[in-house]
Amino acid sequence: MAKKIILIEDEEIILNLLQKKLTLEGYDVSVARDGEDGLNKMREAKPDLILLDIIMPKKGGFEVMEEMQKDKALKNIPIIVISNSGQPVEIDRAQKLGATDWLIKTEFDPQEVIEKVKKQFSISG
Amino acid sequence: MATEKEEEKISTLLEDLTSLESYARDLFSFLPLPVCLVSSVGIILEVNPAFENITGYNIEEIIGKPIEDILIKKEFEELSKETLEKGFVRAKELNILTKEKKEIPTSVSTILRKSEEGEVIGYFVGLFDLSDIKKTEKDLKNAQIALLNMLEDVEEARGRAEEEKNKTVATINNFTDGLLVFDPDNKLSLINPQAEKIFDIKQRDVIKRSIQELKTFPTLEPLALILLREAKDILRKEIQLKENLVIEVSSVPILRGEERLGNLIILHDITREKLIEKMKTEFVSISAHQLRTPLSAIKWTIKMFLDGDLGEITSEQRDFLGKTYRSNEKMINLINSLLDVTRIEEGRYLYKPVPTEIEPICQFVIKSYEEEVKRKNITVSFKKTEKRLPKIIMDVEKIKLAIQNLLDNAIRYTPSGGNVTIALRHGKKEVEFSIKDSGVGVPKEQQMRIFTRFFRGANVMRMDTEGSGLGLYIVKNIIEAHGGRVWFESEEGKGTTFYFTLPTKEEFAGFLKGF
Repeated sequence: MAKKIILIEDEEIILNLLQKKLTLEGYDVSVARDGEDGLNKMREAKPDLILLDIIMPKKGGFEVMEEMQKDKALKNIPIIVISNSGQPVEIDRAQKLGATDWLIKTEFDPQEVIEKVKKQFSISG
Repeated sequence: MATEKEEEKISTLLEDLTSLESYARDLFSFLPLPVCLVSSVGIILEVNPAFENITGYNIEEIIGKPIEDILIKKEFEELSKETLEKGFVRAKELNILTKEKKEIPTSVSTILRKSEEGEVIGYFVGLFDLSDIKKTEKDLKNAQIALLNMLEDVEEARGRAEEEKNKTVATINNFTDGLLVFDPDNKLSLINPQAEKIFDIKQRDVIKRSIQELKTFPTLEPLALILLREAKDILRKEIQLKENLVIEVSSVPILRGEERLGNLIILHDITREKLIEKMKTEFVSISAHQLRTPLSAIKWTIKMFLDGDLGEITSEQRDFLGKTYRSNEKMINLINSLLDVTRIEEGRYLYKPVPTEIEPICQFVIKSYEEEVKRKNITVSFKKTEKRLPKIIMDVEKIKLAIQNLLDNAIRYTPSGGNVTIALRHGKKEVEFSIKDSGVGVPKEQQMRIFTRFFRGANVMRMDTEGSGLGLYIVKNIIEAHGGRVWFESEEGKGTTFYFTLPTKEEFAGFLKGF
């Protein structure tokens, strides 16, 4: 069965790119455009992996992670955060909130995304 | 018939008379004052030698002459009248006429001579030569006039000086910059209202005090510390006095020829300039950030095209897309460099310095350029040290970036077939990194600007129009933020060697303390 990925990102073009790439790779990808929507979809669909943008309207990435930590059902879902700037301060905080890996929006390339996703699945199984 | 006694008496009297006559005559002759005896109608009867002298007339010439010859008629008449009326004239100033027709100012006195019966016989006229006195008077008068003129001139000069001084004082008092003047003993001799305002002090509390004493005033302490510390004659430093007050302090010696009259301290408010600089940096930072994501999205999209993820593309399409991709990459690099620059300017640059070995970092960077180097047919060699180098406290990402910028430059500006050598050396308290290329070099007249923002040498601009001019600026900032030094040697057409040093762990700790 294809692994389920929920993509939570407010920037349309990044969303489209990621979705396209991951779908091509054979993953089952759903999308959400803000933190609120993302959490709802998470509770519904129980994904195998979350790709989470940090800066979003309504609810941002850090808030989402905080809520996930408090929710038993969501605590253990692996998270790859999508950081805008790659500032160490941001990455640090994300890691402390449970992110297992990160992508820097302004620097990554499609291949790197695929590799990180694969890596995540090989760790968590 | 006279008796003997009577004859004796007469003889004695005659003797007395003779001697009296003789006495009078001697006296008359001796008298240095000109005197003459004049008849009641003004005929000169007798004169003394002094009179002869002053008038120039001989005694024979003058006796029998009217005194009008010597005195002017009108004046004589007045003189005569007054003498006859009052019996004397005392010190009347009249001019007499000499034989040579020269006029001499004199003081004339007369005294009437009456007979026993009261008949006017004539009068004595005594003269006192006033020429000298008159001359002295005239000289004094001239001197007085001269002095008054001088006084006037001095007054005028003083007035002008006062005016100048007033102008200067007004200028100083209204000057928009704060001004302080210290005399050669480093005591405060002047402080203007603006300076009072800046430091929130009053002139009377600080005037005449030494810099040491001024240090005890809390608002003055930062300034006093700078003045005490800096031995240089001319200095310019910025100090932040309050939350929203940044002052540029300039010190200039006041010289008169070779003599040093003191020190002038100018306090210029640059709060606004600093604010504008900050706003500019923020603007660049925000703009650059905003640009990053769209650029990234473009990069991705094109990559997906090139990877065939969006369907097959023709080779012509591939060609154009490839060029667009590279163009976009340049933009991304520029934006990243700009962001680095803004971060440097905002001071938020070194993140988490940790003790690290520099060798692996060099290896990593060299490896990342493998393809590029092969493509350009450049030989890159790495000279390691025999012994293990001590660890250096560094922000790994930043040092990686610095080495990357240097290697990038070396490769970029070395023509095909050239070589680049990276070497590490263990100095006394530091580690030295050098990178030598056989590239185009830096023209001598442009060498001092090499580390400035946006600067690109004329020779490399012609060769390769891509560089941002920020690479070396960033390298310099990174290295110096670590307490190191960076420099280079270059010869146009031969090559360039860049060096930098980084302090070892112990040294870095000392460097940090300096903050």
